[in-house]
Amino acid sequence: MSGPDALHGEMPGFPFPGRPGGEHDEPLLDMILDRRPLPPGTPTEAHDLARLLAALAGPAEPGELAGEAAARTAFSRTSPASVSLAARRSARYRRSARHRSRRSARHGSRRPPRRRSRPARVRVGLATAVAVAVAGLGAGAAYVGVLPGPIQLIAHATVGAPAPHHGVPPSAAAQGAQPDTQHRLRPASTPVPRPARSASTTQAPSAPAALTSPAKTPHDGHRPAVRACIYSPWPAPPRLTLEPGHPIPLPPKLARCPKPVIWKPVIPKSVIPTATATAG
Amino acid sequence: MIGAAFRVTLASAQAGDESAFACLFRDVQPALLRYLRVIAPEAEDVAGDTWLQVVAGLAGFRGGEQAFRAWLFTIARHRAADAGRSRARRPAVPLTLAEAAEQPMSPDAADLALEAISARAVVALVAELPADHAEIIMLRVVAGLDAVDVARIVGKSPGAVRVTAHRALRRLAGLVERAGVTQ
Repeated sequence: MSGPDALHGEMPGFPFPGRPGGEHDEPLLDMILDRRPLPPGTPTEAHDLARLLAALAGPAEPGELAGEAAARTAFSRTSPASVSLAARRSARYRRSARHRSRRSARHGSRRPPRRRSRPARVRVGLATAVAVAVAGLGAGAAYVGVLPGPIQLIAHATVGAPAPHHGVPPSAAAQGAQPDTQHRLRPASTPVPRPARSASTTQAPSAPAALTSPAKTPHDGHRPAVRACIYSPWPAPPRLTLEPGHPIPLPPKLARCPKPVIWKPVIPKSVIPTATATAG
Repeated sequence: MIGAAFRVTLASAQAGDESAFACLFRDVQPALLRYLRVIAPEAEDVAGDTWLQVVAGLAGFRGGEQAFRAWLFTIARHRAADAGRSRARRPAVPLTLAEAAEQPMSPDAADLALEAISARAVVALVAELPADHAEIIMLRVVAGLDAVDVARIVGKSPGAVRVTAHRALRRLAGLVERAGVTQ
């Protein structure tokens, strides 16, 4: 070898100075590579090489811009001005779904990727549709008169629906059945006929009416009793009459209990005046 | 090279201006195609793939003209490597005559002397060099990149790139001398 770079005879006739070692021509070669103007006195071969490289970096030749139409088409498809918001959103959804599926695959989960929750606009639309449907069905039911009493009463007051049939289901009312008037809601100010009191109860005239006022039943004239009175528009359940000291009628299963359950009315002492107070 | 107007052109292209993008394309495409003709047989296909990737990443690019060219030629080099791997997996694909005619081949002296010094002829001449020499010459001269950018692309040190470029020029001068192109 004649030097570190080239074998003997590899580049015969290479005219640049410093040819055997190759170091002295490096500034000139750098000038050719950078396409700077060569200094005067440079060998012709260096100028030829510079002209060759200038042709290599020359302007476009016919056919070299043939792919412009395809590139412009690709650009117009993916440029930010042409990509719609929905397409970007769906692309984002696809990316996130792909990421979730990769993550689940990495963690060995077989669960399919969860769907992304609906956007707020869709949720509001769905809620509105459901509310309109419920309101429509409710109005229809109110005008037919099949709503429960209080709701029917509200509908009667607000949208002019028919008044509720108290205590009678529509089917029963249609069949001409009479409502059970004893199960109507009785206001607290309604006067209740007071039966004659026994000697023990006459000492407590100021006891609450709800606890002490007995109801007059068609079966027993003036016995004190507590009645289960449940307001309902539907037919009342069998009336339960309880008397102090009498066993409470139980269902058959519970009736097998060895010790009968005795109901004793518990009246707070604060509402029962003492005998001395009344005697005084 | 676009020069001082490059930043405005790039910003317009990033905003979706198709004519600005066409300006970028016309400026770079000849150099890209010549570079790819040296390193990959299917230069047009690889150039198309390169531009697809450039279009996809154009909005996120930041930098000047030199950096843009370095970025684009890096993409082209990667796509050429992909094409080479794909070609290696399908070795039985025959070349048509038209494709074979476009392959860079060693020109004979008569052809080179007859035609003017066209870029295609010089590309064919550069393709005679060893692969790394030819690639560095194309990146330094055709792409207009400096030694540091070329070193980053080819994975060498700037000093090694400089030495290789010098060797390549000496070899090229020998080829030209032998062919008698510039006599």
